[in-house]
Amino acid sequence: MQDSYREIFLSESQEYLKNISNCLVKLESKPGDLNSLNEIFRCTHTLKGMSATMGFEKITQLSHLMEDLLDELRSQKRAVTSNIIDSLLSSTDILEQLIQDVRLKQDSNIDISLSLQGLKKFLSEEAIPPEEKITLSDIDSIRLNEAEQNRFKQAKEKGLNVFKLKLLIAEDCLMKEARAFLVLTHLKKIGELIQSVPAMEDLKKERRLEQPSISAIFSTKENQGTVLQVILNIPEIEEVSLTAAEMPPLEAQAKTQLQEPSAYIKKIQSMRIPVQRLDRIMNLMGELTIAKIQLVQMVESLKLASLDEISTTLDRLTSALQDEIMQTRLLPASYILDSFNRVVRDLSKKKNKEVDLEIIGSEIELDRIVLDEIGDPMVHLLRNAIDHGIETPEERIAKGKSPRGKISITVSRQKGQIYIEVADDGKGIDLNSVRRIALERGLLTELEAANLDEKKILELITLPGFSTAKEVSDVSGRGVGLDVVKIRVESLGGRLDFETKPQAGTRFLLTLPLTLAIIKAMLVKVQQETLAIPLMSIRETIKLRPDEIKRVQNFEVVKVRNEVIPILRMDRALGIAANAPLQSHKPEGSGLASDSQSHKPEGSGLASDSQSQTNKLIPLVIIEYEAKSLGLVVSKIIGEQDIVVKPLPSFVKKTKGIAGATILGNGRVALILDIMSLR
Amino acid sequence: MAKIMIVDDALFMRQMLSKALLSEGHEICAEASNAKEAVEKYKTSKPDLVTMDIVMPMMEELDGIGAVKEIIKFDPQAKILLVSAMSQQPIVVEAIRLGAKDFLSKPVNAERLKETVRNILANS
Repeated sequence: MQDSYREIFLSESQEYLKNISNCLVKLESKPGDLNSLNEIFRCTHTLKGMSATMGFEKITQLSHLMEDLLDELRSQKRAVTSNIIDSLLSSTDILEQLIQDVRLKQDSNIDISLSLQGLKKFLSEEAIPPEEKITLSDIDSIRLNEAEQNRFKQAKEKGLNVFKLKLLIAEDCLMKEARAFLVLTHLKKIGELIQSVPAMEDLKKERRLEQPSISAIFSTKENQGTVLQVILNIPEIEEVSLTAAEMPPLEAQAKTQLQEPSAYIKKIQSMRIPVQRLDRIMNLMGELTIAKIQLVQMVESLKLASLDEISTTLDRLTSALQDEIMQTRLLPASYILDSFNRVVRDLSKKKNKEVDLEIIGSEIELDRIVLDEIGDPMVHLLRNAIDHGIETPEERIAKGKSPRGKISITVSRQKGQIYIEVADDGKGIDLNSVRRIALERGLLTELEAANLDEKKILELITLPGFSTAKEVSDVSGRGVGLDVVKIRVESLGGRLDFETKPQAGTRFLLTLPLTLAIIKAMLVKVQQETLAIPLMSIRETIKLRPDEIKRVQNFEVVKVRNEVIPILRMDRALGIAANAPLQSHKPEGSGLASDSQSHKPEGSGLASDSQSQTNKLIPLVIIEYEAKSLGLVVSKIIGEQDIVVKPLPSFVKKTKGIAGATILGNGRVALILDIMSLR
Repeated sequence: MAKIMIVDDALFMRQMLSKALLSEGHEICAEASNAKEAVEKYKTSKPDLVTMDIVMPMMEELDGIGAVKEIIKFDPQAKILLVSAMSQQPIVVEAIRLGAKDFLSKPVNAERLKETVRNILANS
C-alpha cells in the first residue's frame, strides 16, 4: 500500500505496542487494574483495525486473537494470570517483529502459529456454528401470540398497513446482530413492531443470531414503496421480501450510482515530520541566529538609528522562532521510560528477584536525540541494579529489608539541564571486590591500589575492561559496561556521577543537556583566540590578583573561600602562549592534547612566575567536573551567549580538548572547550 | 457536499477515512482523537455527519458510547456513523439504540464508507 500510510502505520503501531507491553506489566502487578486492561484492549483493537486496513494479515490475525482474549479478561470471564500476561507479552514481541518486517519492506517469514496456539489455549472453546446456506424460503413462518394478534387487529382497525418482512443479512457482514438491530430500529421509526425474530431485546442482551435472517410483522402508515426504500437504504442486506396480504413479494433493487468525486478541501491538525528535517531546520535556524547577531552588531557599531527598530524586532522574532523550533525537538521522557517497566519485569523474573520500578518526572521533555542515545545506557544501569544491586528476596529478608527491591528513576530539569537519577536500594558496591577485580584485570598495580581513596576505587568501575565476562554473556548479551555508559553520556555533553552506600544502595546521576543543538556558553578570550566554555560546567567566574595564585608542590592553585582549586593556564594548555614568560615551564606535550591531569605531581602544569609580571586582575573561570573543580586562567571574559554547536569535520574530530565549533556574530569561528578532557 | 467530522484515536484511521471522504467531495471540518474532544468539536464545528470509532480512550469519564450519548443529547438530529470492529457488537447495538444512524466494520472499505455516508445524508 501507499508509503505515506506505511510511515504513519509504522510510527503509530510502534506507540501502540509500547503502550500494550507497558500496561501489561502494570496489569500483572495489579490484576484488577481496569484502566490498564482497557488501554491494552484499545491499543490492540486499534492495531488490529489498522493492520487489517493495510492488509497485513499476520498482524491482524495475531492482534485479533489477543483482542479476543483481552475481551474475555475485560468481561471477567477469565482472570488475569501471570501465564496469560506472559502469552500476551510474547505475542506483543512477535507483533513487534512483524512490524519490523513491514518497516524493512520484507516479506515476513515469522511464524505466528505458536503465539496463536498460546493464546487459543486460554480462550474458552466456543462451538463455532456450522456454515449453512440459508435462503429466504427457509425462514420460519411467523406465529403470533395472543397479545401480538390483538395488536395486529388494532392496527388493521386503525387503517394502518401491516406488512410481513423477511430479509437476509449479507453473509460477509461482520456484525450481523448489530445489523439486525439497525434494521429493526429503522422499522420502529416508521411504525410499530408487532413481532420480530430475533426480538430487539434479545439483540440487546448480546444474544447470537442463529440464522442471518430477520422476520417481522409490523404496522405502519407508510406504503409499501416507502418501507422498502427504508430497508434498501440499509447496507449489508442480501434479500428482502415485504408482503401485505394481497401484495406479491418484491425484488431487491439496485442501489444508487456512485457519485463523481469533486474538489479537495482539507484541514490538517497535526502532522509527522522526519527528525532529519527538524535537524535541517535547526541548522538553518543556527545560521539565521548568526546572521542576526552580525546584523545587530553592525547596527550597533555603525549607529544606524533607522535600522535600530527593525533589528530589535528581528532579534526578538528569531529568539521566539528558536524557542519554537527547540520545542519541536522535545519529547517527554516517558518516550523511553515507559518501556523500562517491561525491562525490569523481565530481568527481575530471570534473576528471581522481586523489583518495583518507580518512575518520577516522566513528563519532563528532552531532546529526542538525547533520549535516543540514553536508552541503552539506562537499560544497562537497570540491568546492573537488578543483577548486582538488588538482593534476592531471601537475602533481603535476612537483612531486615522488604523482600521487594526498589529501583527509582527520577527525571528533573533545572537551568537548562536534565538530571536523571537511577537509584536502587540494594546492597551497594563492595569496594573490596572492586579493588580485587581491578587488580585481577591488571587495571592497576598493587601499589596504586593501596594508595587509592574510596572515591577513586569506585571510579574504577567505569574503566573499560572492568565489566566482567559473565556480564557480557549472561546478563547483557551486548557487553555494554559502565565505561560505555559513561562515554555515551559524556559524548552527549553530559556526565555520569554515582555514589554507593553499603547495604543501602547505589545511585547513578546522569546530567544531560536539554538539547544538543544550541547550548549556553561563556565566551572567553585566550590571547587572540575566542573560546566557548559550556555554561553547564562552569561553577563561577572570579577575578584574581596575580599574587593569589600559589604554588603547591609543583602545580598552581588558588584558594577560593577556603577551597584549594588547581588552575590551568589556557594559553599554555592550548599552545598559544605567545607571551608566556617562562617557556621552560611549559608542560610537556601540548597541554590539552596530552592526558594532562593537573592534580598529579608528575603531570603537567608546573607553576610559573607570571604573577610577578603584572598586577592586572586575572579572570578565572572555575569549572566543575565530577565534583572536582579546576580554575581556567583566560585573558578576558566576553560573556554568555547561546551558541549553535557545529560538529567538527572528521579530520579534526579527535582533537582532545575541543568538543566542536561555533560561528560567532562577527563571523569568526570559536572552538568549544571539551571540559571532560581537562580532568 | 457535507461537512464531516472524523473521530478515531488512530491517526492512521483518520487519514484513511478522510482521504476516502475527501475524494467524495466532502469537507472534513474537524477531527477528534478522543471522546471528550469529539463532543467539544461537535458543538463548535456542527458537522453534518460524524464517523465515530466506538472504542476510544476514556477521557474525563467519557468513552465512545458516552460521546454518542452527549452528541445526541446536544443534537437529536446528529448523524453518527459508527466505525467499529466486529468484537464490539454489543457497544454498537447500544449506540444504535441511542440513535447512531449506521455502522461500518473495520477494516473499512472505502466504497462502502462513501455509500453509507451518502445513504445517511440522503435519508436521515
